[in-house]
Amino acid sequence: MKIHRMHDEPRRREEDRLRLLPAFDAAGGLRPGAAKVVSDATGVPEATAYGVASFYHLLARPDVDVRVCTGLSCRMAGADAALSALQRGGAAVEGCACLGQCDRAPAALQTDPGGGGHFTPLQARRSEAAAAGAGQGAEVWTLAPYGAPHLTPDDAELAINLAGADDLSWAALAQARVEGADAVLQKVDDAKLRGRGGAGFPAGFKWRAVARNADRDPVVICNADEGEPGTFKDREVMAQRPHLMLEGMAIAAHAVGASELVIYLRAEFKAPREALLAAIASARAAGHLDGLSVELALGHGAYICGEETALLEALEGRRGMPRHKPPFPTDSGYLGRPTLMNNVETFACIPAIVRRGGAWFAGLGAGDASGTKLYPISGDVARPGVYELPLGASFETLLAAAGGVTGGALLAFSPGGASSGLLPASMADIALDFGPLQEAGSMLGSAGVVVLNDTRDPLAATLTRARFFREESCGQCAPCRVGTQVLVRLLERMQAAVAAGEALSDSDRAALERVSWQMEEGSICGLGQAAPIPVKHLLRWFT
Amino acid sequence: MPDDVPPGPFPGSAAAPARAAGDGLATLSVVIDGTQVHAAPGETLLQAARRAGVTIPTLCHDERLAPTGACRMCLVESSDSRRMVPACRHPVAEGLEVVTDSARVHRHRQSLLSLYAADAPEGVKPGTELDRHMRTYGLEPGLPQVNAPREGRPDDDNKYVLFQPESCILCARCTRYCDEVEAVAAITLAERGSATTIATADNVSLLDSTCELCGGCIDTCPTGALVERKVAHRQDTFPSLKPVRTTCNYCGVGCQFDLQVDPAANQVVRVTSPAPGTTTNDGNLCVKGRFAYGFIGHPERLTEPLIRDASGELVPTDWDTALQRAADLLTGVRDKFGKDTLGFISSSRCTNEENYLVQKLARAAFGTNNCHQCAAT
Ligand SMILES: Cc1cc2nc3c(=O)[nH]c(=O)nc-3n(C[C@H](O)[C@H](O)[C@H](O)COP(=O)(O)O)c2cc1C
Ligand code: SF4
Ligand code: SF4
Ligand code: SF4
Ligand code: FES
Repeated sequence: MKIHRMHDEPRRREEDRLRLLPAFDAAGGLRPGAAKVVSDATGVPEATAYGVASFYHLLARPDVDVRVCTGLSCRMAGADAALSALQRGGAAVEGCACLGQCDRAPAALQTDPGGGGHFTPLQARRSEAAAAGAGQGAEVWTLAPYGAPHLTPDDAELAINLAGADDLSWAALAQARVEGADAVLQKVDDAKLRGRGGAGFPAGFKWRAVARNADRDPVVICNADEGEPGTFKDREVMAQRPHLMLEGMAIAAHAVGASELVIYLRAEFKAPREALLAAIASARAAGHLDGLSVELALGHGAYICGEETALLEALEGRRGMPRHKPPFPTDSGYLGRPTLMNNVETFACIPAIVRRGGAWFAGLGAGDASGTKLYPISGDVARPGVYELPLGASFETLLAAAGGVTGGALLAFSPGGASSGLLPASMADIALDFGPLQEAGSMLGSAGVVVLNDTRDPLAATLTRARFFREESCGQCAPCRVGTQVLVRLLERMQAAVAAGEALSDSDRAALERVSWQMEEGSICGLGQAAPIPVKHLLRWFT
Repeated sequence: MPDDVPPGPFPGSAAAPARAAGDGLATLSVVIDGTQVHAAPGETLLQAARRAGVTIPTLCHDERLAPTGACRMCLVESSDSRRMVPACRHPVAEGLEVVTDSARVHRHRQSLLSLYAADAPEGVKPGTELDRHMRTYGLEPGLPQVNAPREGRPDDDNKYVLFQPESCILCARCTRYCDEVEAVAAITLAERGSATTIATADNVSLLDSTCELCGGCIDTCPTGALVERKVAHRQDTFPSLKPVRTTCNYCGVGCQFDLQVDPAANQVVRVTSPAPGTTTNDGNLCVKGRFAYGFIGHPERLTEPLIRDASGELVPTDWDTALQRAADLLTGVRDKFGKDTLGFISSSRCTNEENYLVQKLARAAFGTNNCHQCAAT
C-alpha cells in the first residue's frame, strides 16, 4: 500500500495570490466580510485571505485615523504626550512602529479620507497657546506638515549627492549598455560596494550569482521597505533622487539579464511614492525603460517585510514570515525565479560607479572602507537629517555635521538601527563602518543613528526597542515570538528594581543571558537573532 | 501522537523501512552521531535519523504536511551550517556529519522548551507531545511567565472543536492539516508577533466556516490546545484512558481508530486516529468516526432483539425467536407473492463481509437479485 499524500502533488487550486493584498486595499482593509469578497475575487480560501490581511497592521486596523510613532526618537520628542493628547481628542488614534520620519519627531501618519492604502505623514506639534488656555497637564497637540529635510549640501564628488539634480539623460545606463554586462559586473566588484540595507553583503558577489542564472528569467527587486528604527535615508533617496535609484536598477537588470523591475515600497512614504511614480513615467516617456517592466508594490505595515525573504512572501500575497535559507533568493526568490534584491541606497550608488569607475568609488571611503554612505541621524541633535559622509567616518564627525548634541552632554548613541543597541559616549570616535562596529559587538546595519543626551535613560530606551521587536516579530518561531516577550518582562522588572533603588537580581540577569542565547541560536531570521543585542549592551555599559 | 507508535508496516510512511539501504533508492550516506546511515536524495535529516533509530524531538512536524521548520524543536548540528539546522526540513547530502547529542543541542532543547513553558500561562497539558518533551529533556531554571495577547474565539460555540489559545504554541500543524490534507482551509494563522493566533475568517464559529468537523486538527495538535469540546473538562485525565483499536462502521472506507476508554466507568471518552502512515486512513477521520460515538453508551441503544406481540407492542426476545419470526414472514411473502416481490437493502454501516452475506441471503436463500446497499450510490 502506498499512501498518497496531497503535498506530493502540485496544487490544483486556482489562486491569484498576487492580487490578494491589493484586493484588500480595494476592499477598504480587513473589515467584516472583506475576506469573503477578496476570496471570491482571487480564489484564495477565505480564512487564508483573512490570515494574510490580519498580519499587516495597515490592513488589519482600517478604522485607525491617525498613527503616532512610538519609536525612540519620537518618544524622546514627546510622542507619548502627543499620543494621549490626540487620543483624548476623540479620533481613532494609536501608536505604531517607527515611521521613518525620525527627523520630524514626533511623527504621525494620517489615513487619507479615501483610504485605499493612501496615507499622509505629518508632524505632531505641541500647541503652546492652547495648552496655556486648557490648564495644567492637559497638553494640546496638533498635526502639521513638516519642513524641508536637513541634507548634506550639493557636492558633485559624492556618490549619491541627495541635494544634487537628477540626471534625466540616464547617461550611466547608456554607458553600461555600450560597455556590456561583464564590464558593469567588474566595476561593481572593483567598487567593493557593500549592500546598504543592513547586512553589508558584497553587491558584486550577489550580482554575479544572479547573472549566472540569467537563463531562468531573473527579476530585480528594490527593497524600499525602510522600516529600521532611526532610518530614513532611502526615503530621501527616493524623494530627492528617484531617477538615480531607477537608473541603478535598470543597470542591474542589464548586468544580470533581467527584464522585470519590482520596487517594494512602504506605504507610509507619500513623497517618495509620488516622486517615484513621476520618475517612472518620465523615464518611460524618454525611452530609458524600453524592454523593462516596472512594478511599484506597496507594503502594508510590517517591519519584518524589510527582511528579504519576508518581502518576497509579501509580494507573493502571503503572511510576511521569513523563509529558510538556503535556497537563497539569487537562486530561488520571487515566484521561484532568480532574484537580485538590493536596498534603495545600494542601487543609487550604481550610476556613479558606472560613470566614474569602481576604483573611484572605492577611494571615497575612510580607511579601508569604500564609497560614501548616507547616515540618517536623529534624537538629541541640532539638525537631524541625512548626511552623506565617507563610509567609515567616525560618529563624532557625523554628530558635528548634524550640529552637535542638544539638551545636555552626550550620554550614548545607537549606531545603526534597533538591534545595534546603545554605545557609551566614550566610544564616540568609533568608525561607523561594518567591521569596527561588529568588533565592538554592535552593527552598522542600516546606519540609522540616534543620539541620547545625559538626561535620557538608557534602560527606557532599551525597553522601547525591546517592545518594538515584540510587536514586529512575525510570530513564526518561538525563540523570537516568546523570547521578545520575555525580554520585555525582564526589562520591566529591571525598571521596577531601579525605581526601588535596587539592582537587577542575579537570577533575572541569568535569565536574560539564557533567553538571549536561545534567541540567537534558535531564531529563524535576523530579527530574533539580533533582538537581544541591545539588552547585552545595556548590561555591559549602562548598569 | 506519532512519536509513540512503533514503525508502521506500510511503505511511504517515514517510520517504515521503505527507503532503507539496499532498496536501490538510497544513494548517499550521512553520519549521524558517529554512525553511517544510507539515505536517498531528497530525504530530510529527520527521516534518515529516525530510520537509524536516532530520536530527534519535533513539534511542528507531521509527516503528512510540508515541513516548515518553525517550532525549532528539531534543531541539530550539521557540518554544512554554522547555525543549527531544523532536521525536519534540512536535506541530506553526501558526507554530511550530523550531531544530535552535543552539549549545544541539549542546551538548545532545554532553553527552547523553557520558552514554551514561559508561554503556557495555564501550564502544559499532560501526555501531549510538548509535555513528553519537557519530561524527557528537562527545563532550565524558570523564566518569567509571559501573557501573550493571543485571542481565541470565545463566541464560537460549536459543540465539537474547542480552541484554547493559552495552550497553543503556533506550530500551525492544525492550519496546515486543514489546508494540505483536508483541502478545507477553514482555519489560519492570524495576527502577528506576540498576538499571533489561530482564527477562522472574521473569527466566525467553525460551523459558519468551511470546516467539515473532521477533527483532524485536534489529532495533530501537539499541545492539546485543540480538544473535543464535550470532554475538554477532563483533558487532564486523557493519559489514563485505554485505547481500543477498532474499525469505524459508518461507511465502507474502513478507517481504523482508537476508542479511548475510561476503564473505571467502561465509557468511551473520545476517539483518536492511529498515527499517520500506519493504517489506510493515514491518521485521518471524518466527522462521523470522530464525533458520532455517543450511541455506544446511549440509554436508548438497542441491545437485544425486539418482536411485536399480539397487541402490536415491541417486546424483547431472544435471537432464535426473532430470527425464526423474520424467516417465517419472509418465506411467507415469497410463497404467496413470488420471490421478486422481496428486496434486501443493507446499511452502509455494515462491513464488507456483512454486505456479502446480505446479498448471499437474497440470492441463495430467496432467489432474488433485488439487493442493494446504500453506499453503492
Ligand atoms: C529584520 C530585518 C529587517 C530588514 N529591513 C530592511 C529594510 O527595511 N530595508 C532593506 O533594504 N533591507 C532590510 N533588511 C536587509 C534585507 O534582508 C537584505 O539583506 C537587503 O535588502 C539586501 O540589500 P543590500 O545587499 O543592498 O543591502 C532587513 C533585514 C532584517 C533581518
Ligand atoms: S526570528 Fe522572529 S521575525 Fe524572524 S522568523 Fe522567527 S519569529 Fe519571525
Ligand atoms: S475539524 Fe477538520 S475541517 Fe474543521 S478546522 Fe479542524 S481540520 Fe479543518
Ligand atoms: S492549536 Fe495546536 S496544532 Fe494548532 S497551532 Fe496551536 S499548538 Fe499547533
Ligand atoms: S519539527 Fe522541525 S522545526 Fe518543528
